[in-house]
Amino acid sequence: MAEIVLKHVQKVYPNNESKKKGFFGKKKKTEEKKHNLKVTEDGVLAVEDFNLTVHDQEFIVLVGPSGCGKSTTMRMVAGLEDITSGDVFIDGKRVNDVAPKDRDIAMVFQSYALYPNMTVYENMAFTLELKKVPKDEIDRKVRSAAEILGITEYLDRKPKALSGGQRQRVAIGRAIVRDPKVFLMDEPLSNLDAKLRNQMRAELIKLRHEIKGTFIYVTHDQTEAMTLGDRIVVMKDGVVQQIATPQEVFNHPANIFVAGFIGVPQMNFFDAQLVRSGNGFTVKTEDMNVALAPETCAQLALNWDGGDVKEITAGVRPEQILLADKGEEGALQGTVEVTELMGSTEHVHVTAPDGQFVLIIPVVDLEAKGALKAGDPIWFKFEKNATHLFDKVSGKNLI
Amino acid sequence: MKRDKAINRALSIFFTILSLAWIYPVFMIALNSFKKATAISTTTAFDLLTPETFNGLANYVHALNEQGFASAFMYSLIITVTSVVLILVCCSMCAWYVVRVNSKISNFFYYLFVFSMVVPFQMLMFTLSNLADRIGFNTPFNICFIYLGFGAGLAVFMFAGFVKNIPLEIEEAAMIDGCNPVQVFFKIVLPIMKPTYLSVGILETMWVWNDYLLPYLTLDSTKYKTIPILIQYFRGGYGHVELGPMMACIMMVVIPIVIMYIFCQKYIIDGVVAGAVKG
Amino acid sequence: MGKALKRWWPLFMLPTCLAFMIGFVIPFIQGFYLSFCQFITINNAHFVGIENYVRALPDPQFSTSFFFTVAFAFLSTVLINVIALAIAQALTRKALKGTNIFRTIFFMPNLIGGIVLGYIWQILINCLLSNVGAQLIALNSAAGFWGLIILTLWQQVGYMMIIYIAGLQSIPSDYIEAAKVDGATAWQTFWKVKIPNLMPTITICLFLSITNGFKLFDQNLALTGGAPAHSTEMLALNIYNTFYSRAGIAWQGIGQAKAVIFCILVVAISMIQLKATRSKEVQQ
Repeated sequence: MAEIVLKHVQKVYPNNESKKKGFFGKKKKTEEKKHNLKVTEDGVLAVEDFNLTVHDQEFIVLVGPSGCGKSTTMRMVAGLEDITSGDVFIDGKRVNDVAPKDRDIAMVFQSYALYPNMTVYENMAFTLELKKVPKDEIDRKVRSAAEILGITEYLDRKPKALSGGQRQRVAIGRAIVRDPKVFLMDEPLSNLDAKLRNQMRAELIKLRHEIKGTFIYVTHDQTEAMTLGDRIVVMKDGVVQQIATPQEVFNHPANIFVAGFIGVPQMNFFDAQLVRSGNGFTVKTEDMNVALAPETCAQLALNWDGGDVKEITAGVRPEQILLADKGEEGALQGTVEVTELMGSTEHVHVTAPDGQFVLIIPVVDLEAKGALKAGDPIWFKFEKNATHLFDKVSGKNLI
Repeated sequence: MKRDKAINRALSIFFTILSLAWIYPVFMIALNSFKKATAISTTTAFDLLTPETFNGLANYVHALNEQGFASAFMYSLIITVTSVVLILVCCSMCAWYVVRVNSKISNFFYYLFVFSMVVPFQMLMFTLSNLADRIGFNTPFNICFIYLGFGAGLAVFMFAGFVKNIPLEIEEAAMIDGCNPVQVFFKIVLPIMKPTYLSVGILETMWVWNDYLLPYLTLDSTKYKTIPILIQYFRGGYGHVELGPMMACIMMVVIPIVIMYIFCQKYIIDGVVAGAVKG
Repeated sequence: MGKALKRWWPLFMLPTCLAFMIGFVIPFIQGFYLSFCQFITINNAHFVGIENYVRALPDPQFSTSFFFTVAFAFLSTVLINVIALAIAQALTRKALKGTNIFRTIFFMPNLIGGIVLGYIWQILINCLLSNVGAQLIALNSAAGFWGLIILTLWQQVGYMMIIYIAGLQSIPSDYIEAAKVDGATAWQTFWKVKIPNLMPTITICLFLSITNGFKLFDQNLALTGGAPAHSTEMLALNIYNTFYSRAGIAWQGIGQAKAVIFCILVVAISMIQLKATRSKEVQQ
């Protein structure tokens, strides 16, 4: 049983962090990060009012662009970073002032952080030795963990002699031998090459069902977030944008940022007007006039703040745009800019009067209609109910 | 390509000659250390050995028996070993603390350490030897604390340079694995820094072993003579300089250094480079 | 890490800082104070203001040794670095045989202590001088100066060469290959590619050789001892002699005042030199 609760957790980095200069006044390359973090009197607000309850054996993924505060949040759970305000509970116990080693957690670092002076076996046994676990039990645990991860033959090697993937396994092995309540993983796959990353991702999914534990996983890769998480926490500039299941985040992004961050290629955005006429709503642009489904209209009406016309940003996912025939009702015309063959699909970049669009077209469809090349005219339409509507000012999803 | 080869050949010859010239001074001292006292003079130092001038090991025996070379060697050894060990242990711990704890006091000391590296010894020599005298740090055993204090600047600075390159994550992993800070240092940081200990150790050894003024001013030099003091004493007296035993002494100082150098060459050169680059 | 470690300062910080207090901080402050006092031992010191400084500056021996030191430091720095860089450049050539042996030999003198070095060269130079019929080094200040220069070269060229070799080897070979493809000659590559990338190394070497030049003591003491008539006495030795070889009540205080001037000089020169070279470094 391990439930983690974060209540109003905030992290402020004081501005006056004195940085040690190298001798000779060497200019340390502390590249001033361009961040949009809020700056208060006390310093930079890295994490703002973070609230989350992680259920027992849940797999939570914190995702966001770099510098969004996701790692800081995890490090506060680990106890490696002071909590400026708010509380963290593990199993109902407030752990703000508990040392990392007493929180019953295990952490896998991005750089693996293997002890270079110890063999794989010693790396995994280290924590148990510190806990004065009997030798034979240590041996049993280390070997069974090595078995699960398939690293038994490397037990006598030093980390230096291992490949990236093997080091990754050792780092995970070091976490599972101790049987912790909570697993914390800080971008564990981002130092691996693409192929290995896919493979390890699949293994993590498998592993997660074999060992019972609560997981918090930090990544900037939305594919990892979508495939691994029971729930996803999307963060930006220290602020939580949305906490929901992968499907929910994908289908109902809370705002433009989430909509754009999740999904590859990115969602297509264009400016539009939302026009109300009685109980019906239509999305209008220069050459588009789409009436919305009754359920959507009902929802929009609930939060409607008056007026007949509202400026919005509309969004459509590339996979929800279909090829259309010339003259078909609701079809938009555009010009093909670039085509990228991805294998079974082709990404088509199109310029239309409403803006730039990316379409994902199955190759089979193209074979039926004939190949597209740059400069060709193209007609396309949106799937039903595929249009996301966002407030132009606040960026909030209107539905 | 052909031109390159010709240049390389020319350089090889040039460097061979230069190398021979480079070791000539030591070679010359070695030769003269075997000469009879009557055959040693400023005009004949370049002459090669002949059966008439050959004196066997007499100069060496003389230096060992009457000039107190053995005891000077022992004192130098004791001072060097205790000081270097003390510097390595204390300064590495201090450097780790200074880098990892970002407090005003630790920063203040760090800058003070850096400053102390530039200050010439003459600035402190009178007051330091006085202070050492008053608090009893004037024996070959206690002088290592003075060396720790005066040598702390360079050592802490170098160790700090290396500590900054250790990923913090490794130490954090150890914390989560259940180490307290002392265990983190001795079980994780110290083993990682092994090569650094070697580099700093070599630099400090070279300094302490060859240092003349600090022990000369601090120690009671009629009782305790280190090797540099002993050699300086050959001239210090009023009578004529006994060149033969003096050169024998020089050889006995140089030979262990050269032997050590040949065996630990890689580490010494790495240490020097690391020390300079960090500096 | 920091937070948990903080309370362990008595173990980690205290021993070193205590020794540092005794070995550096207290003597430094006391020395600074004493430069304004007249004393024989520290106990009977009494404050005399800047009188020591007033008496130190006109001391002819002090100004002689000042100019001697400046000339020596400047010349030795230039020669050491030019020769060391030239050797380093030659020894990093591809396909040159025996480079390791040459490196080993050139570096060796650096391990020998200053006092021993001084006597080795005293014997050698005296023999040379007597064979050409010149006056011995104890009576010959020109020979003393050049003797010190040669000795310093012998000792430090190998050291600087090692650092330059490391610096040259750390220049990415891409740059040099790119220059070659662009049609640069070896000479142009050296000046336009290697030197700019070598600036951090040059800074370090210049810094080390300048401060070494100013602080030189052991070699000076052993090779010439300042003779003849203090004409080859460098600042460090002059201060030492002011303290320990001059009779009279005032000299300790004057020596300490000279030491303070010397200290400020060394610190200032290191800082100026660092700033000047740093500004020329290439940002990578």
